[in-house]
Amino acid sequence: MKKIDFPPEESMYRTALVELLYQLADDDFILAYRGSEWLGLAPHIEEDVAFSSINQDMMGHAAMFYQLLEDLGEGDVDDLSHSRKTNERKNGVLLERVNGPGHYLGKHEFDWAYTVVRHYFYTQFKKVRMDSLKTSSYQPLADVAVKVRMEIYYHLLHWKTWFLQLMQSNSDSRGRMEKAVQRVWDDVDSLLCYGPNGDDIVKAGLIEAEDKLLQRWKHFLTPVFEAVHLSIPEKLKPAAASGREGVHTKDLEEALAVLSEVYYMDTTASW
Amino acid sequence: MSDTVINQQTEAENYKRFMKKIESGEKIEADDWMPDDYRYTLIKLISMHGISEIMGALPEKEWVPRAPSIKRKLGIMAKVQDEMGHGQLLLRVTEDLMKPTGKTREDIMQDLFSGRLKFHNVFHMEAPTWGDAGLIGWLVDGAAIISQTNMLHASYGPYARALKRICAEEVFHAQHGEAIIMALAEGTEAQKTMVQEAVNRWWESLLMFFGPADASTTGSSKQDTTIKYKIRSKTNEDLRQDFFSKYIPRVKSLGLTIPDETMYFDKEQGLWVYRQPDWSKFKDIIRNKGPKSQERLQLRIHSHSINAWVRDALSQ
Amino acid sequence: MSAGGFYQEFEVFSKRTDSTPLQYQFSLLAPNQELAFVMAQENFMRREPVADIWIVKRTDIRKMTYEEKDTLARLDNKDYRNAKGYGYLKKKWRKYEQNMLDEKEILSWGGEKKGEKD
Repeated sequence: MKKIDFPPEESMYRTALVELLYQLADDDFILAYRGSEWLGLAPHIEEDVAFSSINQDMMGHAAMFYQLLEDLGEGDVDDLSHSRKTNERKNGVLLERVNGPGHYLGKHEFDWAYTVVRHYFYTQFKKVRMDSLKTSSYQPLADVAVKVRMEIYYHLLHWKTWFLQLMQSNSDSRGRMEKAVQRVWDDVDSLLCYGPNGDDIVKAGLIEAEDKLLQRWKHFLTPVFEAVHLSIPEKLKPAAASGREGVHTKDLEEALAVLSEVYYMDTTASW
Repeated sequence: MSDTVINQQTEAENYKRFMKKIESGEKIEADDWMPDDYRYTLIKLISMHGISEIMGALPEKEWVPRAPSIKRKLGIMAKVQDEMGHGQLLLRVTEDLMKPTGKTREDIMQDLFSGRLKFHNVFHMEAPTWGDAGLIGWLVDGAAIISQTNMLHASYGPYARALKRICAEEVFHAQHGEAIIMALAEGTEAQKTMVQEAVNRWWESLLMFFGPADASTTGSSKQDTTIKYKIRSKTNEDLRQDFFSKYIPRVKSLGLTIPDETMYFDKEQGLWVYRQPDWSKFKDIIRNKGPKSQERLQLRIHSHSINAWVRDALSQ
Repeated sequence: MSAGGFYQEFEVFSKRTDSTPLQYQFSLLAPNQELAFVMAQENFMRREPVADIWIVKRTDIRKMTYEEKDTLARLDNKDYRNAKGYGYLKKKWRKYEQNMLDEKEILSWGGEKKGEKD
């Protein structure tokens, strides 16, 4: 991709850029939040510790993307992450889904299979996305992508290991994993699309086209799927609402209420 | 007959050698010979310490998703992660000690669930506000630092090494707690009230943290055995006094009040004089009859059971 | 995947930098080597730099028993193995107006200047 000497004030470019940055920031932020609900409750103590590092890394990445928005005058990092309403959020719907029914402090049904599959799919997509962003026309974003990429290697190894092992163990586990894969396929389109401003985002040279990333993503998934004798669907189920246009589920609304509870006690106070 | 005599001599020799080692400051390792009461004292102490870390993740965990900014969310995530990590280190130490008994981590969890294995009194208490999240980091971890540094030179090598790692991380925890508390204490009236209420709520639990001064209060105390075997050096009361000396001036300097108007420092004795907590309440709390005991235990049991399939799947 | 249950014991070793020796960290439980491997760094080295990690299944380690540690003791009568036992040569070389090539001198031949190492 060639660098475009667009001044960031230029309106169409800026709109597209801001749009993409919200998608990047909100994606990492909400999935890191979902991950943080698992803290202390993972299937194994050692894994709990490892998983938490990944959640911290991801929330750190979200903070870097929110910072780029702050630098563009969109508002303060904490306001951007804590005060934007459901219809202002741009994360893919896949990432906002609950870990399972129930509250994180009560009789929840958090699903480790769903967590492993969702994180594996997302992390592989994130890798492809950061690879493409390395040559983004917006240099500050390209710089952030290079940094974020560094930590994805571990995340990917971690989730791929869990994915392969649970897929290849007993039939109970296999059944749960296949069900989780199906649920994630149903939503995955929400992740891969750039939303209503998608054409402008690509035209502005901010990132390569959706289908290019999709092909690359499938290319990386293929050998793993072959290893566990699963096929990748030819066509993805189109998402009814992707989230990129601000249409979300009740899950997100509830998550936002929890994550901003203390923040809203006094938005002008220092916490 | 003669065999028994030889073994008895060996036992006595082993004991002599063991005590000599301890007294000269050498460390005992997992595979070394040790008297049974040393082993069982350690198992009891370290399994309770370890499981308290695991249970201790829960009150703060309540505030992880709700922390008021990205920085606070990251800080509290890292802190609760450390609690789980400390649990990991301590359970590993316990599991190695339990080896001759054939028990594993699963047995430790089952002992917790059945109530046989107790967890620390502070983790049975409610943490209803963000102020409590800060206070746990500041004063509960502060108290933990005092009691854990007291065992940094424990005669049992694996425990001493785990504590060295743990104490290094506790320094971060205390600072994380201080940062939250100072922001609140320097903040709005509502924020100041939030901290003061948290102090009031936690005061009695903090007094109980170090345990009763002697067995006469609650009927049992392991402190004599742990001192004899050089696992720890100070008594419960020594530690409580250390805590007062380190933290009372700090609490007061932030404009907070200690909820014990009778408390003062007696210069002649060099001791803090304070109102005793209700030790019968302490006994109830550690028997899982505290305000949050059952709820937290149920959450732990529940998450262990809904994830059992993962452990089953990878057991083959 | 491995036989013998979910809670297998693994010992974790790591190097802080490429040029530092391998150091023992701690042990962890995992169902197999691959999962032990993906959990090791975050459990024991999440706040420090790491250049390499080794995972060893505990049952593959031949450790010493308490009694076997008695086999480690040696008498302090083996000067002939060390430079210390040949210190008298210094004086002899002086007679030939030569400096002794001692350890300090010989190890300096690697060409490293002071403070260059690591």
